[in-house]
Amino acid sequence: MDTTVPQRFVVPIGPQHPALKEPGHFEFTVDGEQVTGASVRLGYAHRGIEKATEGRNWVQNLYLLERICGICSHVHATAYCLGVEKLAGVTAPPRAQAIRLLVAELERIHSHLLWLGVAAHEAGFDTLFMYSWRDRETVMDILEALTGNRVNYSANLLGGVKFDLTPELTDQIYAGLELLEERTHQYVDVVTSDATLLQRTRGVGVTTREQAEELGLVGPTARASGVERDIRAEAPYAAYSDFPVKVVTATAGDLEARFVVRLQELFEAYRLIRAVLEKLPPGDLQARMPRKIKPAETISRVEAPRGELFYFIKSNGTDQPERIKVRTPTLCNLASVCVLAIGSQLADVPMILAGVDPCFSCNDRMVTVYSGDTDHTQWTWKQLRQYGIDYYRR
Amino acid sequence: MDTQEALKSAETLLTDYPSTRPEENRLDVTLAPENLSAVVSNLVAARWGYLIAITGLDQVALGQLEILYHFGAGAAVLTLRIPLPRIPIPSVESICPIIPYANVYERELGEMFGVEFRNSPNTDRLFLPDDWCSDVYPLRKDAVLNEE
Repeated sequence: MDTTVPQRFVVPIGPQHPALKEPGHFEFTVDGEQVTGASVRLGYAHRGIEKATEGRNWVQNLYLLERICGICSHVHATAYCLGVEKLAGVTAPPRAQAIRLLVAELERIHSHLLWLGVAAHEAGFDTLFMYSWRDRETVMDILEALTGNRVNYSANLLGGVKFDLTPELTDQIYAGLELLEERTHQYVDVVTSDATLLQRTRGVGVTTREQAEELGLVGPTARASGVERDIRAEAPYAAYSDFPVKVVTATAGDLEARFVVRLQELFEAYRLIRAVLEKLPPGDLQARMPRKIKPAETISRVEAPRGELFYFIKSNGTDQPERIKVRTPTLCNLASVCVLAIGSQLADVPMILAGVDPCFSCNDRMVTVYSGDTDHTQWTWKQLRQYGIDYYRR
Repeated sequence: MDTQEALKSAETLLTDYPSTRPEENRLDVTLAPENLSAVVSNLVAARWGYLIAITGLDQVALGQLEILYHFGAGAAVLTLRIPLPRIPIPSVESICPIIPYANVYERELGEMFGVEFRNSPNTDRLFLPDDWCSDVYPLRKDAVLNEE
C-alpha cells in the first residue's frame, strides 16, 4: 500500500439516535481523531405535514401542527394560532394571551431541563441526567394538571385558549417553581464547577459571535455566543409586550456557555410565570373566529425553546389554507454542527451535536406510509378516522 | 433598530424594484431572478438583518412558482419574491456564495418544489429518501402522492 497518500476514513453516525433518541445521519471524515469533514442527511422523521395542511381545514390543522414536535408543541400551535388570527382580523382576549405565555414558559422549562439531562448523558454524567429528569417531572405534573396532558397540551384554540387557571392550580405552580428554582441554582453550580464536566464543555465547540451570525444561528445556541436574538424581546407576541423578557446572553460561545444560558433562561421563565400569575388579566378565554378566511398572507414568528420558529401562512378564501411553511429552529442550528465539528476531536462530536439541542421531529416533517389492508399496525387516515367515530358511538 | 426605520432603510436599499407593504411590519419586493444575487449582496453588505427562511409557493392558475426569501431585522420582515414559470424546472442562482447557511433551505426547496439552484455547493437531497422518484416534487400542487 502506498503510504504517502493520506487515508480518509468516514465515520457514519446515525441514523439511529446520533445524540438524542431521534434519527439523523451524519458522516464525519476523520484524520486520526480529528474531524476534517462533515455532512448531514435528514428526513428520517419527515411526515409530510406541510403538504397535509393543504387538505385540512383551519381547525384540523391546529391539531396537526401541534404534533410537529412532542417537546415544543405549544409554540407550534401558538405560532399557527397567532398567524391565523392575524389573517382573520381577530385578536385573542388578554387573559388568553397571558395563558399562552404561561404555558409557553412552562414548556420552555420542560424543554431546557430535558436538554440538560440529554447533554449530561452525552457527557457521561448520568447522575445529572437522572436528577434533571426527576425535577422535570414537577413541570410535567403542572402541565398535566393545567391541560390534562404531559405532552401535546393542546392549550390553544383559534381565537384563544381552552384552559383557565384555578386557585388550586396557581398554588401548585407556585410550589413547583419554588422547588425548581432551588434545583436550578444547584445545576448552575454543577455545570460551572464540576471538573469532569468542564473538561467536556469548557472551550469545546467554540462559536464566536461572528461565526454565529454567519451560520445564522438562533435561540440559546446563538445567545451563548453573544448574539442578542430573541423574538420574545424583538417582536413581542401573545402577552410578551405586557410581560417583557430580559434576554440572557453569554460571550464564551462554548458548550459551557450554552449550559449556562439555558439554565439562566430558566430563572427568567420562573420570573415571567410568577409575574403572569400575579397580574393575570380578567376576562374571556376565546374570541369568535370565522370559518372561512379571505385570501391573504401572513408571517408569524415566535421564540421556541430552541430558537426562532417561523410560520408563513397563505389563505385563499376557503376554510383550508393555501400554503403553510414551517421553518424550525433546529434546521438553522443543525447546519452549524457540520461546520463546528471540523477541527474538533471525534469524541466531542456527540456533545457538539447535543449542544444545539437538535429536535429532529421538528426538523423533518414527512414520511411515506406504505399501508397494507391486512397490516393493522399501519392505518390510513380514513381507517383511523372511522375508528375514532366507531369508538365514540359505542 | 425600530421596525419602521428598518423597513425604510430596506426600501432605500431596494428603491429600483416594485414593493408593497402587506402588513405593518412587512415589506414585499418583487425581483427578476437575475437581480437576486446583487440584491442579496447589497442587503448583506448593509448588514440588514438575516435570512430567516426560503418559502416556495406553487401557483398553478398563474402558471408560476414563486420563491420567497424572508429576511428579518427585529420585528421587521423583508420578503424578496421571485416569480418563475413553473414548467420547465425553474432555475435560479444560488445565494450560498453570499449566505453559506442558505444551503439547507435551498436543498429543501429544490427537492420539494423542483427548483434548480445554479452554482450551489451542494444539491444533495436533504429530507426525501434516496429512492424517491426524480420527477415528483411533493409540495407542488399537482404532485400525485400515493398516500392511501
